[in-house]
Amino acid sequence: MAEQKVELFARRLDRGVQQAVHSNSAAGTEKRYTVLGTDYSAPDDLRRLAGQIRQHAIEHLDTYLEQAEQSLKRQGAHVHYAVTAEDACRAVSDILQKAGAKKVVKSKSMISEEIHLNDHLGSVGIESVETDLGEYIIQIDGDHPSHIVKPIIHKNRRDIAKSFEREGLGDYNDDPETITRRARVFMRDKYLQADAGITGANFVSAETGRLVLVTNEGNSRFCLAAPKIHIALVGIEKVIPSDAELAVLLNLLGRSATGQQLTVYTEFINGPARTDRPSGPQEMHVIFVDNERSQILASDCREILRCIRCGACLNVCPVYRQASGHAYRSVYPGPVGAVLSPLLAGKNFKQLADLPKASSLCGACNEVCPVDIPIPDLLLKLRNRGHEEHAPSPGTPPMGAFAKLASSPMLWRFAMKSNKVMNLVPLEKLPLPYLQPWLKTRTLPEWRGGEFRSWMKDRRKK
Amino acid sequence: MSTAREQIFSSVRAALAPLPERTARPVFSKDVAEPHWLAAEADSLALFQKRAEATGTKCFTDMESCAAWLRSQGVRTVYIPAPLTRLAALCSEFSEVTSEYTRARVNEIDAAFTPAAGAIAESGSIILSDESTPDRLAALAPWHHIALVSRAEIHRTIADALAAMPDDPNLIWVTGPSKTADVEGILIQGVHGPGAQACLIL
Amino acid sequence: MTHSPSRPNGRTVQLMATCLCDAFFDDVAKATVEVLEHAGCEVEFPENQTCCGQPAFNCGDWPASREVMRHTTRVFEGDKPVIVPSGSCAAMLFHGAPLEFEKEKDLPTVQKLANRTWELADFLVNGLGIEKWPGRFPARIAFHRACHTRGTGSGEAALKLLQSIDGLEVIPFGEAEQCCGFGGTFSVSFPHVSSSMGCLKLEHMTASNPDFIVSGDMSCLMHLGGLADRGGQPVKTLHFVQILQSALHRHG
Ligand code: SF4
Repeated sequence: MAEQKVELFARRLDRGVQQAVHSNSAAGTEKRYTVLGTDYSAPDDLRRLAGQIRQHAIEHLDTYLEQAEQSLKRQGAHVHYAVTAEDACRAVSDILQKAGAKKVVKSKSMISEEIHLNDHLGSVGIESVETDLGEYIIQIDGDHPSHIVKPIIHKNRRDIAKSFEREGLGDYNDDPETITRRARVFMRDKYLQADAGITGANFVSAETGRLVLVTNEGNSRFCLAAPKIHIALVGIEKVIPSDAELAVLLNLLGRSATGQQLTVYTEFINGPARTDRPSGPQEMHVIFVDNERSQILASDCREILRCIRCGACLNVCPVYRQASGHAYRSVYPGPVGAVLSPLLAGKNFKQLADLPKASSLCGACNEVCPVDIPIPDLLLKLRNRGHEEHAPSPGTPPMGAFAKLASSPMLWRFAMKSNKVMNLVPLEKLPLPYLQPWLKTRTLPEWRGGEFRSWMKDRRKK
Repeated sequence: MSTAREQIFSSVRAALAPLPERTARPVFSKDVAEPHWLAAEADSLALFQKRAEATGTKCFTDMESCAAWLRSQGVRTVYIPAPLTRLAALCSEFSEVTSEYTRARVNEIDAAFTPAAGAIAESGSIILSDESTPDRLAALAPWHHIALVSRAEIHRTIADALAAMPDDPNLIWVTGPSKTADVEGILIQGVHGPGAQACLIL
Repeated sequence: MTHSPSRPNGRTVQLMATCLCDAFFDDVAKATVEVLEHAGCEVEFPENQTCCGQPAFNCGDWPASREVMRHTTRVFEGDKPVIVPSGSCAAMLFHGAPLEFEKEKDLPTVQKLANRTWELADFLVNGLGIEKWPGRFPARIAFHRACHTRGTGSGEAALKLLQSIDGLEVIPFGEAEQCCGFGGTFSVSFPHVSSSMGCLKLEHMTASNPDFIVSGDMSCLMHLGGLADRGGQPVKTLHFVQILQSALHRHG
């Protein structure tokens, strides 16, 4: 029988990688739980409030996006729009080429992964260097991030040391501190030589136009300190009404992502540096990217647009912990990815329609989500959509016969009783394709169909 | 042909049009996200110091001890911008004290003092702005960064700081030294920014 | 998961035994009846009941699931509380069904049933107001809050009753929020992932050698028990209602 792709990936996954992903994720879950528990008596109320804030924002996207644009323009920033991933890539390279820029430094941003910006810039002869330590290692290895907050959760220090050696960043040394120092030295030159810095944004305040960036390493600050041009790629769903909402959202984001009250750097940027300043970009461009988001907004899965990319749902997810991020074959792994990736695929939905099936629907993701996204409901809706569109789903039993049986009480009772023959045959020999995967690792209890019904009847007679 | 902007706005409007009702903007009190322990902290200055130390920012209240700490860290070159020259007088024992910051010397300055635009007690954060910082690089590139925080500019909460954001295109809340846990989840300080973050409260 | 704030809590109740109890776990269904009767309830068992339709719902075949759910709404007509000794089947009635009927004309019928549905522990504690369970059950147990009770009062309710039983000790274990790996058809379409999740769960739950592994969902227990059994290290599993029942028997 054909196998689910996520299952196949998980089955073949290196044990060491699986264990690293598991322990790192479990530690993340634990930290989040502890810090929220220490600081708040009712963290769930706060999560629900944050959910409402984000839901309100995306349901008024037309208003807030326009307001954000005006605020940014007032501050002297240029605002652009891109409908597709290709449009977004082209918008970036157009700005760079117009300015004669050849070298850029990038701070970590999921949307630039989503549109494959680095590949595009490479193809037009622009050097683009990822400056986040993890993302840099991904870049030199030609790899893909496997977690939205911890991109190299699947790599160990020995892998990294080998990559650094190969890239000429010193002799083999797998001490994490040495690795970090070498990256520091290497990046310094890159920052100072770069013509432009590219960032994403975690939030955009419509009222003030402030782009909010949260990081720990300080690389985004460098990208906005040394180069002369700042380009920010922002998904249109990132807008929020005003700065005031950040009190709720920032307090939840850091705690959910890394167990920090705030990340080390929280940056608020709403324009180019003023002309009398010695450093900072003199030009700021904000590119608002749609790339299927308006279609998601039109769908019955629009709640996923609330996501603030904290990664808590990945950390807590038992399937992610077993399969790791690359099993999801897309930029966004884990529960958020199982919803978002097939939707972002647009017309190619069917190619990723198996992802929503890779879940036991345990609901842990919803329980930790800082914006209370009903992820299991969305997974179920997408399963239904996959079914309607006849997307292939290996290993999923057909349900027509079950429905017939379960809506005819006579047949049902008969089946309950007659199935007792199952107790008499060796189950492992039965040619039932959906029973065998169960029996491989599990036994079945004795069939006792009808027993309760007769007991109940007797009791009523008495 | 319509522009990308028009296309996006029209699909967004089309997506929202069929909604029978839209979620209202939630009304919440400013203190809704305050940690419950905050109420017991009467003194904002003491709270700031406690939270700053907890997140790895060293706090000093006099220049002498700050200079002594820098010396113990092996600091040789110090940048102190012009408005702070009275502090420079207290830094006689370093091999170089300069009030000039240029790109060429980004990797040579061991420690830099820059004035902060304020601080946040609840989170132990220092607020930097373009207005207060002579050069973005100066507050970022040296291994040691010492922000000068004035007592009067310590906001009690994150919400207070958000409500009082100055009109400045570049505001940064700094909560501890630059750090990463990318390699096997092991915490390393000093990635791209300061490996040692401090503040001098005046 | 949200639940209707005002559910009926009368003492004449309808029992939805669930298909798993119908097929395998008659002892759990019997214990449910005895426990409800002890709590002063009169238990009705609508004979024509089958399944809640969850398997088809989870597979994405919502038309098939709705067919079963329509049957279920007919079987459980009226306005008495409907009691389900399973977190996931209860959640199917009060949460899943309204979701799959969102765009259907008969949503109100389904919603009506949803508003009458109680998971067993939730009903005993939050419906009937029982705070303490009589009797004795001298044992150490590891209690797995079944995943479908997240966001409901069920997990806490079951724990409250268990902890009130004389002689019973509930022991903590690691990664308690994690799923057992069953997930319905997930267990057969993702057998490796599902079993790995289950083995990890077992490892945590058995770490301090409890006498029983306990849950409020027979599906979790069938999975965990079956895994342990196949692995050659069988564990003793019990639905919490079986503990309530045994405690009563020892009450004398
Ligand atoms: S879905 Fe929720 S938990 Fe997952 S990354 Fe997004 S905000 Fe975080």
